[in-house]
Amino acid sequence: MADIVLDHVSKSFGKVRVIDDLSLTVQSGEFIVFLGPSGSGKSTLLRMIAGLETIDRGRLLIGGRECQTVAPGQRNVAMVFQNYALYPHMTVRENMVFGLRNIGMASDEIRRRVEEAARILEMDQLLDRRPSQLSGGQRQRVAIGRAIVKEPAAFLFDEPLSNLDAALRVRTRVELAELHHRIGTTMIYVTHDQTEAMTMADRIVVLNDCRIEQVGTPMEVYTAPASRFVAGFIGSPAMNFLPVEVINSDGQALATLDDGSTIGLPPDIAGRGRLDLGVRPENVGIVGEGGMTTGKVKVVEHLGDRTIVYVVLGDGTPVTAQTGGHSQVRAGEVVGLTFDVEGARLFGTDGLAQDQAAAI
Amino acid sequence: MTPQTARRANLAGGAITILTVVCAVIWAFPLYWGIVSSLKPEDEVVRPYIELWPDTLTFEHYVHALTATQIGRWYLNSIVTAVGTTVLTILTSIFCGYALSQLRFPLRRPLYWLILASFMVPTQVLIINHFVLVANMGLLNTWAGIILPQLIHPVIIIIYKQFFDQVPKEFREAAVMDNASEWRILFKVFVPMNWGVTTALSIVVFIWSWNAFLWPFLAATKTEWMTITVGITQVNDAFGIYYARELSLAVLAGLPVALAYLLFQRQVTRAITLSAGIKG
Repeated sequence: MADIVLDHVSKSFGKVRVIDDLSLTVQSGEFIVFLGPSGSGKSTLLRMIAGLETIDRGRLLIGGRECQTVAPGQRNVAMVFQNYALYPHMTVRENMVFGLRNIGMASDEIRRRVEEAARILEMDQLLDRRPSQLSGGQRQRVAIGRAIVKEPAAFLFDEPLSNLDAALRVRTRVELAELHHRIGTTMIYVTHDQTEAMTMADRIVVLNDCRIEQVGTPMEVYTAPASRFVAGFIGSPAMNFLPVEVINSDGQALATLDDGSTIGLPPDIAGRGRLDLGVRPENVGIVGEGGMTTGKVKVVEHLGDRTIVYVVLGDGTPVTAQTGGHSQVRAGEVVGLTFDVEGARLFGTDGLAQDQAAAI
Repeated sequence: MTPQTARRANLAGGAITILTVVCAVIWAFPLYWGIVSSLKPEDEVVRPYIELWPDTLTFEHYVHALTATQIGRWYLNSIVTAVGTTVLTILTSIFCGYALSQLRFPLRRPLYWLILASFMVPTQVLIINHFVLVANMGLLNTWAGIILPQLIHPVIIIIYKQFFDQVPKEFREAAVMDNASEWRILFKVFVPMNWGVTTALSIVVFIWSWNAFLWPFLAATKTEWMTITVGITQVNDAFGIYYARELSLAVLAGLPVALAYLLFQRQVTRAITLSAGIKG
């Protein structure tokens, strides 16, 4: 186990800056997830830690040791690749011992480690098979096994579940979380799948456009997104952003929507003027009469346990609401909408949340 | 498909089959003729009409070839030079292909273009240079002298480069993370992952080398250093050419290659397709 410190690191490919003066500390034993859309720099950051990409500027410390110029194989980290990268001509056992033989480890120790990893991952019966004889899930497990036998200071996962089908992905997700519990080693996991991030991470690092948008626990990034990007990226369906004019009227903060309707906000709200009011779909209620505003239902999606209702307000602003599984709302209906402002956030024109205290 | 179009397709298929068979017969006939002639007495061979089967079947020419010539030595020379050429060509091409494909070093691209450009230079153009060079090195009438100039096969390098290019980069990265040296990455990951192409190319280089005539003919001026293909030219004597005798030697010379074709048909076809793809 080791903590990993990225200290003002930067990386460019030619003239394109992909990581810009980024600093981050991953605590020892932590399961941290780099989450972001394609091109956000999350995989590059992971590869910089692994040593597969050079670090142009800044320092990388793994377990207190400065590592930015150390060869990848000597950083004491193990990586699980998206396509597993299991050597097809080797058996599972040979795949696992390849790295250990490269460092001249004694046969007894190699055997002990392989048996231990096989026991942890319950794959004793797979050891003499070749990767082509394994299912996707088994290959994934072997790839993890190959990392485990190294007993590294940290595991680096580069979207390891993206090649699995939906059901297997859910199962493997749970297994990975269990594995982290059991071995307690630092794990850095890259994904663009927010569900993976929310379910597995101790902390999520949300990356966008080559920089960190927010670092926090899954609930922190969900309930108190630091920016409009994070608010929109985390959560499915995505948060609604309603353009509003926030004013103070007799000590009462009021948000006026573009269709003229008003929503009462708590008085201690930070931010005035032209802002975006962010409301999660589960905080939008659909009522027959007496709503804060009205809109026309465009599409209704019945997902069994819940219903997603896509509504358009009078001024054309789209709003997504999430209601119970037995909702009777139909497309084409005009419905009233209520907004539970307790879980709402205000975002300025710069895309930043007004401040943590502005949670209204 | 209507019955009419089906019938038309059948007819076309039948015509193509017949054409293929005719072409195969035309192609195979000289081989057949050579083998049959080698089994005829000399006077039967020179008869001014075609006899598809010998009146008198004889193995005297084979006995002569095996007992009165240095065929054993020529076989040995051919085996040593063909195996040597194959091993060294494959090995150097693997190194070169790997470097061009996986390593980053100054002038890598110009070097690649240079190798590609060398396709345009026929070996025959260089033959005098090779001869002078090998003679100056004192390597005429040696196995090394026969082998060295035959190691130039840019096509093999290019094929290896292309195959190594196709290995997903994660395998190399996984090996790098596994603390493997370049040697181990090459011989434990890349070469085994491309074992099929190595087998195919080895066979085809062996066949090229075994069949080589011009360079071994120049490099081996003494009978005992000749390869089998060159040795065939030594069986005529003061009384002229003995066709049946020469053909028996030619059959013996071609036997290992024919066997190689028969045993490794699939790999040979693959190798020829690969090299043709590059050359085309």
